[in-house]
Parts: sequence; structure tokens; C-alpha cells
Amino acid sequence: MHTLLRLTSANLKSFTRDRAAMFWTLAFPLVFILLFGAIFSGGTSRFTVAWVDGDGSPSSTALLSNPALANVLTLKTYQTADDAIAAMKQGDVRAVLVIPKGFGSAIASAGAVGGAALPLTVYTDPSNQQVSGTITGIVASLVGGFNQAASGRPPILALQTQTVQSEAITAVAYLVPSILAMALMQLGLFSAIPIVEQRESLILKRIAATPIKRRTFIAANVITRLLVGLIQAVVILAVAQVVFGITLLGNPFVFAGIVVLGALAFIALGYVVASFAPTEDSASQMVSILQFPLMFLSGIFFALESLPQVLRTVAAFMPLTYLGDALRQVMVGGTPFVPLGVGVGILAAWLVGCFLISARFFRWQ
Amino acid sequence: MTLAEPAIPSGIPDADAVIRVRDLQKRYGDVQAVAGIDFEVGRGEVFGLLGPNGAGKSTTIEILEGLRTQDAGEATVLGLDVRHQASTLKERIGVQLQTAALYPRLTVREVLELFASFYASSVPPDQLIEALDLGERRNAQTRQLSGGQRQRLSVALALVNDPELVFLDEPTTGMDPAARRSLWELVRGLRAKGRTVLLTTHYMEEAEELCDRLAIMDHGKILEIGTVDQLVGRRFTERTVRYERLPGIDDATLAAFPGVTRVAHEDDEATLLYTHDVAGTIGALLGAAEALGVEPRGLGIRSPSLEDVFLALTGHAIRD
Repeated sequence: MHTLLRLTSANLKSFTRDRAAMFWTLAFPLVFILLFGAIFSGGTSRFTVAWVDGDGSPSSTALLSNPALANVLTLKTYQTADDAIAAMKQGDVRAVLVIPKGFGSAIASAGAVGGAALPLTVYTDPSNQQVSGTITGIVASLVGGFNQAASGRPPILALQTQTVQSEAITAVAYLVPSILAMALMQLGLFSAIPIVEQRESLILKRIAATPIKRRTFIAANVITRLLVGLIQAVVILAVAQVVFGITLLGNPFVFAGIVVLGALAFIALGYVVASFAPTEDSASQMVSILQFPLMFLSGIFFALESLPQVLRTVAAFMPLTYLGDALRQVMVGGTPFVPLGVGVGILAAWLVGCFLISARFFRWQ
Repeated sequence: MTLAEPAIPSGIPDADAVIRVRDLQKRYGDVQAVAGIDFEVGRGEVFGLLGPNGAGKSTTIEILEGLRTQDAGEATVLGLDVRHQASTLKERIGVQLQTAALYPRLTVREVLELFASFYASSVPPDQLIEALDLGERRNAQTRQLSGGQRQRLSVALALVNDPELVFLDEPTTGMDPAARRSLWELVRGLRAKGRTVLLTTHYMEEAEELCDRLAIMDHGKILEIGTVDQLVGRRFTERTVRYERLPGIDDATLAAFPGVTRVAHEDDEATLLYTHDVAGTIGALLGAAEALGVEPRGLGIRSPSLEDVFLALTGHAIRD
């Protein structure tokens, strides 16, 4: 155990002192997110919101042109709340605003009816806090305005918020888990290079001449990579939240579990490369040759349903497809390519397959 | 070349040999790297393996270190079978590899601490840093070290577990003369503490200075084993006249000079005449040269050394 910690700490020190490695693993994915985020998220400061008038009174109709709403939101009328929610799920609108029955009479009598405040309901998508926060804030100030006008008496309206998981997600929300998946893939594949370098420079041979077990040495290398992968995940999540308001929707432990599984599957693939690459140069070349098809045929950067059938079939064989899909489902929702359990199973199968291949063919000298 | 006497086992130590090798064999594809060798090394000995590149020295050492498995034959080190008890063995031996391989971005001290953590008991890193004269570089990353400093660190790593037996594979390659002498002192210090050292070297002077006994290897076989005096005395009672080669005088003429027992050539550059009559041989040589109208250059006389033994046994100088 002591040896494992020492080896892991030696690896982490070596990693943090290698500026090029630091840049590629940490800064590069961030640059990618900021760049693509800026391209895809431009010019959407005005949100479209579904308008469902459950009252139909002159007061409720007048709200449509109320400057507190009309000046900042684009309102689109739907007949029933169900229609509006369906439209929101498909991504046609960002939120749904439902005006309750009795709105007109409540305004007219200014709270004299029964005394209980009337609920005004807003449906928002919690996966995009920037959007849901803005819309909720706008409606809350409207409700506050009515209640103040009836000052001294009980409040007329109460803001009620409901969540709807929109299946259509924004381009940036689609991209963030993809970039994390890509970063984990690179982290794993590139683990081939230092291990081949250590074999070439006889560090592995020197280690083999000490009493430590080979599995301890390999475990320390894998743990180091996993730690870096988790740090990458945290940094990418933090940037997505701060810059684009995209929060982790699902269970953070499930998310971390998928990050670890995905990283392990690609580290195992990296060791497969290390098993067959005789030199550091050939390992670099094999990694470069592998990573582009793995990345661009996986569909992590485009919705799979928008691809031609041939490419969809190819993508169905790419492990990165399932890592991106699983991370996306837990992080922001959206239409799954396969159910989460299936994706996790496929990644686990890749991990086991690559592990067996490298356990069979990996050479120490 | 002349001389193909059978190898004479010599000075085999007592029963508690630290290393005992019987008919050891290892083949890589078509190459018989080690072709059935036998030797023993006693406790407290400094034992040298000498031979040209490809002679099988490194393969032999790596089998004894538990890094490779022999095809046939027995090898016990510290009483342990290297095939089946390698992990116990590795706790008690120190290993320095020919190419010094280290973590490039760790400091000298960090690498020593890391390797110390691999063993049940270890020497404090600072003590090794002092012993190998690396004090000024203790906080330097290993990639910033000079070749000689790196070599010293790799020797320090071989001593980190205070081993009973140390394997040094060409330990002074790349060191300057001062560092080489201080490493020799270190090896003598190990011997004084009763530790056993098995080393390979390219330097005849180093073997003569350090080794209690040595084995000369070529083509996977041990040609001869013994102390330096035994190896030299067994083969040469003559002294050597050496000069830059004169193509006009053939070997038969040279062999007929007074006192000459044997003629040898070093890399086609120099001729060696082994003789019991130095004055008579030089007189005849000068006469023959004068008849050709030339003068022998680089003429010198020496007592036979390990270098002569090596040349006689392998047919070439060691740096070939």
C-alpha cells in the first residue's frame, strides 16, 4: 500500500512537472469548450416561452402585452398546458407559463376571494440554469408586482415552479459531455506513450529488478491516470457551470462512476497500443492514427439521429459513442442513443476485452 | 589466432558460494547467448565478467538478477533458485543496469526515496547521496544530470536496500577518471564490509584494480577463470615487444627471431612478439627492418597483462 502511494505520488509529480502533458490534458479541452461554446451559444438572449391562458379573461389577455413580459420574452400561445409541455420537451420553447383560472376575478377583487393566493405555474428545464433562472426571475417579478399593487392585503398570486426535462438540449449542453468524453479518451490512449517510453529507457526493467509486484506498478500508473481524469471532469464541469450555466443534472456519484469506467476502458485501450508498439515514436503514431476515427466516427460531436445510416452503424461500434452518450444522459438529459445500462455494459465489455489483450501481449522488456 | 586451451576452473570457493552456476544456457532465436557456463562466486568476493559485446555477460547477469529465465542449467544466488525464488532474491540483491534508466522529472532525492520504498529495509537516501558524491545535485531532476552523475545515481540505487550482493553492469562507463577512482573506493568499501560484488567491465585496468577473480567470456562460453595473476601467469612467462605493424616482414620470419614463442596482431595495427629474450628479439627486429629500409615505430616492451590474456583468448581487443 505504501509502495502504491509512493509510486502514484511519483507519477503525479512527473505529470505536474511536464508542462506539455498538463496543457494537453487540462487546458486543451477547456479551450475547446470555450471556443465551441462561443460559436454555438451566440445571440440567444431573448427566450421563447409558451403561454397557456387558463382563464381567458380580459386581465389575463392583457398580460400578453404586459411590458414586464413582452419586452423580455417571446410569448407563444398554446391551448392547453399539455400541448405546451410537449412543445417544451421537443425544444420549441424554453419554458411554459400557465395562467390559472380565476386570474381575472382575483385581480378585480384584489384578494377578497377566499383569501388563498392563486398559483401561477412556470415550467422550466433545470439542466440549463442560466435559462431557467432568467425566466423564473422574470415571472417572479411580475407576480411580485401584482402582489405589491394589492398592498396591505393577502397576496393574490403565488409563483409555483415545476420542472420539465427537455429532451432537446442546446448545442453547448450537447457539447460539454462530448468534450469530457473526448478528453477521457485522449487521457487513456495517451497512457500508452509514457509506459512505452519507460520500457524503452529500461525503467520497466529496472523496476522488474526490485521486489515490487508488477501489478502494483501498473496499478499506480492507472490510478494516476484516473485521478487526472477526475480532475479533468471537475474542471470541465466547473467551466460549463460558470460560463454556460449548464449543471450536472443527475446523480454525481453515477456521473463519477461513468467517468471512471470510461477512463479505464480507454486506459486499457492505451495499454493495448503499448503492447504492440515497439518504440515511443510508433506508440505516438498509433495513438494519432486511432484517435481521429475514434473521435469523429463516434458521433460525439453530432446528434447520431442526424447522421446517415452508414455512419450511424460505424458509430455503433465506437466506444466513445457510448461514453459520450452515458455522460450526456446523466449530465444534461436529452434523447439517449442506448439506455444507460446498455452503454455502461458496452464500455465495461471494452474494458474487459482490452484488459485481456494487454494482459496477454504486454511486454516488460 | 593461436591457443585454444581448455578452460581451467580455478579458485572455486568454499561451499557457501553466494552465486553458483551450473551449465547455464540461454538462446534467443538462432543466437546461443549463453552456451553452458559454470562458475561460483564466494561471499565477500569482487568477481568480474569480462568479454566483448555480445559475449553473453549481460544475459548471464540478468538471469542471476531474476530478470530472465534460463533455458537449461542451474543458477542459485544467496542459496535461492533464481527461477522459483526471484521475488525473495530481489529483496536482497542490488542491481545496476547498463543503461541508467530513471524517472526524468523526479529529483535525485525523490528517486532514491521512491526506490527505498520498494524494499523492506533501506539505507537513508542522504547517506547514499553523500557516498556517491551527489550532494550538490540532490534536488536536481534526473534529466538535468550529466552522464557520469546519472551513472552514480544508478549505482546509488543499486545500494538502496543495503544488499548482500551487488550486480554492477559496466558501472564506470561515462565517468571521468576521478569519479571512476572514487567508485573503485566504494566497491572496495563494500568488499571490506563483507558484501559480494559481481561486475562487468570494458576496462582492463578496472578489472585488474578491483577484481579478486574474473571470468573471460566470449560467444556465450567462459574461456578462463582465475585471479589476474593466475590468468596471466598461466599463459605467459614471456614479455611482450610491441610495435606498429611492418607489412614487409611475415609472421614466419618473426617467429624465428631469438626467444620468440608467439606472434600476435592487435587489430592489424600493431604486432606483438611474446619472447623470452627481449634484447635478442629487438636486435633481430631492427636488423630485419633496416634490411627493408624502414624503422619500427612505437616500439615498446611490456610485461604481459590482462589485455594480452584477453587478446590471446578472444582474438581481438575488448573494445571491438
